[in-house]
Amino acid sequence: MREEDEQYFQTLESRLDEAFDVAETAKQRGGDPKPEVEIPTARDMADRVENILGIDGVAERVRELEGEMSREEAALELAEDFAEGRVGDYETKAGKVEGAVRTAVALLTEGVVAAPIEGIDKVEILENDDGTEFVNVYYAGPIRSAGGTAQALSVLVADYTRALVGIDQFKARDEEIERYAEEIALYDKETGLQYTPKDKETKFIAKHMPIMLDGEATGDEEVSGFRDLERVDTNSARGGMCLVMAEGIALKAPKIQRYTRNLDEVDWPWLQDLIDGTYYDDAGDEESEDEADDADEESADDGDDAAAEDADDGTESDEPQGPPRVDKSKKFLRDLIAGRPVFSHPCAEGGFRLRYGRARNHGFATAGVHPAAMHLVDDFLATGTQIKTERPGKAAGVVPVDSIEGPTVKLANGDVRRIDDPEDALEIRNGVEKILDLGEYLVNYGEFVENNHPLAPASYTYEWWVQDLEAAGADVQALEDDPRIDLEFPDPEEAVEWAVEYDAPLHPEYTYLWHDISVDAFCNLAAAVAEGRIEQDGDGSVNGNGDDSILVLEHDDAVADALETIVLEHRQREGEDRIEIDDWRPFVRTVGCEPRQAVADGAALEPDPDGRGEEPEREPDTDPEEPTVELERTWTDDDLSERARTWGHEAEGDNAIEAVNEVAPFEVRERSPTRIGNRMGRPEKSESRDLSPAVHTLFPIGEAGGTQRNVADAAKHAETMQDTPGIVEVQVGRQRCPDCDTETFKNRCPDCNARTEPDYRCPDCDERLEPDDAGRVECDRCEVEGTCVEPREIDVNEEFRSALESVGERENAFEILKGVKGLSSTNKVPEPIEKGILRAKHDVSTFKDGTVRYDMTDLPVTAVRASELDVDVGQLQALGYDADIHGEPLTHEDQLIELKVQDIVLSDGAAEHMIKTADFIDDLLEQYYGLEPFYKIDDRQDLVGELVFGMAPHTSAATVGRVIGFTSAAVGYAHPYFHAAKRRNCDGDEDCVMLLLDGLLNFSKSFLPDQRGGKMDAPLVMSSRIDPSEIDDEAHNMDIVRQYPREFYEATREQADPEEVDIQIAEDTLGTDGEYTGFEHTHDTTDIAMGPDLSAYKTLGSMMEKMDAQLELSRKLEAVDETDVAERVIEYHFLPDLIGNLRAFSRQETRCLDCGEKFRRMPLTGECRECGGQVNLTVHQGSVNKYMQTAIQVAEEYDCRDYTKQRLEVLERSLESIFENDKNKQSGIEDFM
Amino acid sequence: MPLEGHARIVSELTSRGYNAEREAVTQLAAADDPDAALEHLLDEIPDDALVVRSEHVEAALNAVSSSGSSPPTESAADRGDPTPSVSTGTDAPVSGDSATHAPVETEGSEPIERTVDADLRSLEIEGDMTGQSTGTGEYEDFVSVFRDRLERLGSKLRGRVNHRPASAIQDMPGGSEVAMVGLVNDIRSTASGHWLIELEDATGTFPWLVMKDRDYVDLVDELLCDEALAMEGTLADDSGIAFVDSMYFPDVPRTYEPSTADRHVQAALISDVHVGSEEFMEDAWNRFADWLHTEQARNVEYLLLAGDMVEGVGVYPDQDEELDIIDIYEQYEAFSEHLKKVPGDLEIVMIPGNHDAVRLAEPQPGFDEELREIMSAHDPEIVSNPSTVTVEGVSVLMYHGVSLDEVIAELPEEKASYDDPHKAMYQLLKKRHVAPQFGGHTRLAPEEKDYLVIDEVPDIFHTGHVHKLGFGKYHNVLAINSGCWQAQTDFQKSVNIDPDAGYAPIVDLDTLDVTVQKFS
Repeated sequence: MREEDEQYFQTLESRLDEAFDVAETAKQRGGDPKPEVEIPTARDMADRVENILGIDGVAERVRELEGEMSREEAALELAEDFAEGRVGDYETKAGKVEGAVRTAVALLTEGVVAAPIEGIDKVEILENDDGTEFVNVYYAGPIRSAGGTAQALSVLVADYTRALVGIDQFKARDEEIERYAEEIALYDKETGLQYTPKDKETKFIAKHMPIMLDGEATGDEEVSGFRDLERVDTNSARGGMCLVMAEGIALKAPKIQRYTRNLDEVDWPWLQDLIDGTYYDDAGDEESEDEADDADEESADDGDDAAAEDADDGTESDEPQGPPRVDKSKKFLRDLIAGRPVFSHPCAEGGFRLRYGRARNHGFATAGVHPAAMHLVDDFLATGTQIKTERPGKAAGVVPVDSIEGPTVKLANGDVRRIDDPEDALEIRNGVEKILDLGEYLVNYGEFVENNHPLAPASYTYEWWVQDLEAAGADVQALEDDPRIDLEFPDPEEAVEWAVEYDAPLHPEYTYLWHDISVDAFCNLAAAVAEGRIEQDGDGSVNGNGDDSILVLEHDDAVADALETIVLEHRQREGEDRIEIDDWRPFVRTVGCEPRQAVADGAALEPDPDGRGEEPEREPDTDPEEPTVELERTWTDDDLSERARTWGHEAEGDNAIEAVNEVAPFEVRERSPTRIGNRMGRPEKSESRDLSPAVHTLFPIGEAGGTQRNVADAAKHAETMQDTPGIVEVQVGRQRCPDCDTETFKNRCPDCNARTEPDYRCPDCDERLEPDDAGRVECDRCEVEGTCVEPREIDVNEEFRSALESVGERENAFEILKGVKGLSSTNKVPEPIEKGILRAKHDVSTFKDGTVRYDMTDLPVTAVRASELDVDVGQLQALGYDADIHGEPLTHEDQLIELKVQDIVLSDGAAEHMIKTADFIDDLLEQYYGLEPFYKIDDRQDLVGELVFGMAPHTSAATVGRVIGFTSAAVGYAHPYFHAAKRRNCDGDEDCVMLLLDGLLNFSKSFLPDQRGGKMDAPLVMSSRIDPSEIDDEAHNMDIVRQYPREFYEATREQADPEEVDIQIAEDTLGTDGEYTGFEHTHDTTDIAMGPDLSAYKTLGSMMEKMDAQLELSRKLEAVDETDVAERVIEYHFLPDLIGNLRAFSRQETRCLDCGEKFRRMPLTGECRECGGQVNLTVHQGSVNKYMQTAIQVAEEYDCRDYTKQRLEVLERSLESIFENDKNKQSGIEDFM
Repeated sequence: MPLEGHARIVSELTSRGYNAEREAVTQLAAADDPDAALEHLLDEIPDDALVVRSEHVEAALNAVSSSGSSPPTESAADRGDPTPSVSTGTDAPVSGDSATHAPVETEGSEPIERTVDADLRSLEIEGDMTGQSTGTGEYEDFVSVFRDRLERLGSKLRGRVNHRPASAIQDMPGGSEVAMVGLVNDIRSTASGHWLIELEDATGTFPWLVMKDRDYVDLVDELLCDEALAMEGTLADDSGIAFVDSMYFPDVPRTYEPSTADRHVQAALISDVHVGSEEFMEDAWNRFADWLHTEQARNVEYLLLAGDMVEGVGVYPDQDEELDIIDIYEQYEAFSEHLKKVPGDLEIVMIPGNHDAVRLAEPQPGFDEELREIMSAHDPEIVSNPSTVTVEGVSVLMYHGVSLDEVIAELPEEKASYDDPHKAMYQLLKKRHVAPQFGGHTRLAPEEKDYLVIDEVPDIFHTGHVHKLGFGKYHNVLAINSGCWQAQTDFQKSVNIDPDAGYAPIVDLDTLDVTVQKFS
């Protein structure tokens, strides 16, 4: 590790320590469930594993083993340690196996996800029919988050440990084997599996499995045969077990086999049969194997194979038969939802054009879109909006990149303009008649690596051209250094000159989308150009042609159409019968016409055969001295070769690029051979996470607080006139003071202020119990679990008043203080109300674990500017940023600096929320704990440099991050490694941040719900520093170079495998000194928060408004077939909704409005059998037909197929038939006329 | 005529109107002279037998071996049926010599001039709710439907037991003998393998325990939720539960005597035409229509269609890809054209099915005016599903049969299966309700009364939907599930359903005997 990296981490850790000390002191004073901070710090994976498991000594052993062997081997090594008692303090064999299995899963998931604690319920020893003992592992649903390999290996480790501690193998009974098969089929039907083994395969596994796989019931549906088995507790599907068996053992058999081979103690010879598929009694081996393979690859894109085949075709003969193209994939259009527009149909002309590169806010499942395009699609795209995409992945987060080409639109006045400035986009937006082209779409090389997608043919872009130019012998360096030359955006004449002089392909800026027009259209266009004339438009502008000349063509629909298709800027003036083109020289040359000088007065020259003698008359202002330019077509249609005439992808002759190359005096490349279809997925997110209803304090008040759970109301609540107001009976944990034996529910003795302890009793014999080492409380005599929970009368009024007094606040300090109805944790320990009072005062609410959280969509960024983060250079310098990405000293706000791995950018909303939280923490420290305030925030600049926790759902480990600045985009920008450390990528995922001290002070495991999954999403451990080799390896596939080589672009034309190309990716720097730095990018962007701040999806009101906007946009977009969109919305949204609700209606449950009891069928008494209350339907007419009229209207308006319309008609009549009385039809006004 | 192999035997047997057990066929095929054995068998088999069982074969084989030869037989004549019982349309007749006196194949038989005496005919409809749908989908509508069900089915049970309301039972002293009539509210197994059945009446629910070692524990397998039932038993000591001693279904009386027509007249019972589907068997249909014009079909004066005239639109996802005619109205027009091919003097009754363009929820009203207009050619009676049509005194309960799927899924295979759809129909007759279970596959539209109750015992119960041919008698009621006119679809292939396509069961209304005509 480099010195500066070490220093960086030390800065983070010292601030962490500082906060930790404050929190420890505070905790010792307050009435929290535990007198110490409950989030242990983990410096590395070993620490995390140990902390998440709570088994001492694991970390040390893991570190020992880490350097020597793979993680999988280490897990097996640790199993031995557990078996022999070297690690963990277990007396029972079951305990040893359990410890080993949990550790293995934790190790393989890098101690981040909740699977090791939540996914394995318990391990027990049971007896075989022959009297020997066997091991039973009890899996639960959250084992899912471990992934197949870790699941499978957990079984192996269990078996290995079993063998080591000397327990026999499991001998499944026949009915149990059958049960496994039935159950997995049932689970697949109910929930779905990635891979579903066939019954025979399942039975084969079950028969040979040396330990018993068991688990909790996860579904409602029950198996029909093989019920009520002695050793299986439930008749429902055991989800955790099904996952382990199907996606673990069955799918990952080859991986397990690798490890069983090296172990003498365990022998799984049957694995070979499983892999070979030879578990069938007879032949048919191959078939099963193939199917397993298929399933394996199911997750891969449909297009993959086809595209690969395409590539093969291309290499078969030297002379390709057509242009290289990817295949269409319609998958992303599936399940189109009303209100989320389609931006481009698969590979459609006018859609997003694939450009390769990584912008600084890009990579890791994101897509770069020009901010002008974001505005032009009616603001439906914003920074962080998720799109479902055709390739290379399935989904991506949208990031604004303005160094790529913007969209081209046709305005109502006939102008066809490319819009490269978001401001322009907003200005002209109302006049847009058609979006002819959505502009470029930036995808980085790493995406193709990550998705294992063959490279798609690259657009001809500046990055490629400049390398072609160099290869052609030009002194690119000299050109770059020439201040008069803009190499990326040259004048048209320069572009032509370079192409001719160096024999290099024409500059992409003037290369149009010739491949999108047919050869016929091209010939037609060339003819029209030859007929065209050069005029001085007299506006004095030099249109880059060295003068203010423009090309004027006669107006013709076919010509206009061709110009629109090749995306050439021009003006259509239908009324004046002209089409005007400004940058005409490269265009004219490309269509094989030569400009020839002629004298203006026409007299000096013979009148040209086309009889354009009128020209001078039409241009009376033209200086008669000035020579005019004649255009001469240098070729005829017959000159085109057979190959050029028939060149095409979908149809012969639909691609004019070969024709262009035959007639143009220079090489013209395919400008944009790959279009990428996509549609909107989820909108971006940046909002505080509130429980519903929001909760300020985890203090139970039962029903007394009303539906609002208002503590103040509860304090005044009395059931009857006789009751004392504020006395509420709730379930809470009984605590006892060890000093004075006072019984209370608080964590401190109200009499002597000593810390109290839970008072466990046996529910049967009321014997007082002590928890054992594992924390389990069981009565030895009655063999039942003890508990400290009891119904207790609490004087909420008294508690509320004294809490107000103790923090010195009055009731008017906040609008409302919301408590909870009851507690869901094991021991039902309430939180001190004081914390809630201060939260309410600062208008923040708490999550189930006592922390205040803010959710944001994840986006990556590797280099930032002070200017875009609303911070100054001084602040960045204080954070250790001394130099910009070029190594220059940091002096200016616009300099780009490379982001450090744990620094994050907060959205404006997050910053505001963090300030509120910080104020709450400061008050809490001062008014509750009696300490100095910690944050002292005056404005948001004070947040810069403060630490936060980042945490993703389904995980149990938080990662420490540092605030470096702010953005107006509604997303959380951070280093890709930071996101990967939390196990997120950026394809629309979201997770939360919490303020460091809030987590340290207010989080307690004691608040976590006592149910499956309760420990997910809770910071059971935190990582103080990121180790790049211990993060989600998806981030390792991000490319980190400044430029892609020319060979790469050429390889894309071959649709090569991405691995065959040599571009440095993050993986290459792992384990080196450079692992934290050197994340270079190929494209810059002006600001990481361009385009709309919020997607229109969020700003539009009702679903109907969204859908109207969606359909309106689909009309505007050239690349979208609006009828198809309407069909899909009806087919995938409205019809399923209508049909589903109608079906639900006619077989619905009913529910009591008073007590909530549900009935499968309407009770014959009519009223609730439980409480006598009013029972009503759960599905009403209103919910059944809410979309009916809209759907019919849309079908009509967008000219959907009769089939769709008729389906709606039939449904409408069904609804009428069910909901209308035939004898009492609604009469219209005409009945009275 | 030589018979080879099982297929021939089965074909011959079905042509004579018999179903056969697999063992019986095997035995026949294994006989020294299968031909003779078969003829003998048909001679010997009791008149009321519909299925050839192995005991019949054994008896026949014994007879053959004792006599050494088989006398020529004329099975159809034996059964009082002058016409041979099969037409394969294009094949040569396959029945014995004696059967060929009336050639039936289309080429061989001249269309005849049908003469019918309209005065002899009678056709009445009961239970048609078309245009009578008064429900508006309110909670109360549902409650009254179920109350009506209990009221009407309960009345068939109340005379048989000394019943008490649920609310009164729990107040009775433990150990009392009690009985109750109610709808099944819940069926579950207890941890010890007994069955707990909750009966509900208008006063509440009461749990009844069926011990696993009692004889009628098998009946529990037949139970469906929401069917009406009476139970008798003994109250537990705490009166919280009762132990079942006996169970009663509304059922059809064993002694039921069906009505018959006064003259020899026949009805063709078909369903599931599925016009518009790529798999619609147009040729088979045309052969059927042609056959109706022949001498052999002279007595067929009624055509009953139990739903699914067309394939419909949007019945399942991406259905349009498998449609021959995508437009729903064109489907009905095509159907109407096909229907025009049958003799114009046939009396036609139609009910809709789940593929038709009416609501899916049952009862389904008959087609609307627009569709009636399209199908007006033969002036058919278009009535709701279900409806009862009484033809010359013989009442036919027509129901499309969606609930059969559920009965087959829920009941053990030996009691209801796709291979024996009529057995599933027996269950509905026993429960006296065409679609008892609420909340599962079957959809219910609440109306003022429960149109799905089988109030009066029908003489014939006619369903379709499952695309399997099967018929038999349950307490003298003839249950017929007509096959279909749609060849195996991809979906059916994927779930291994082999439909019986292109058959027309013909019922003699004077004897209720069934012959099956095959046109595929």
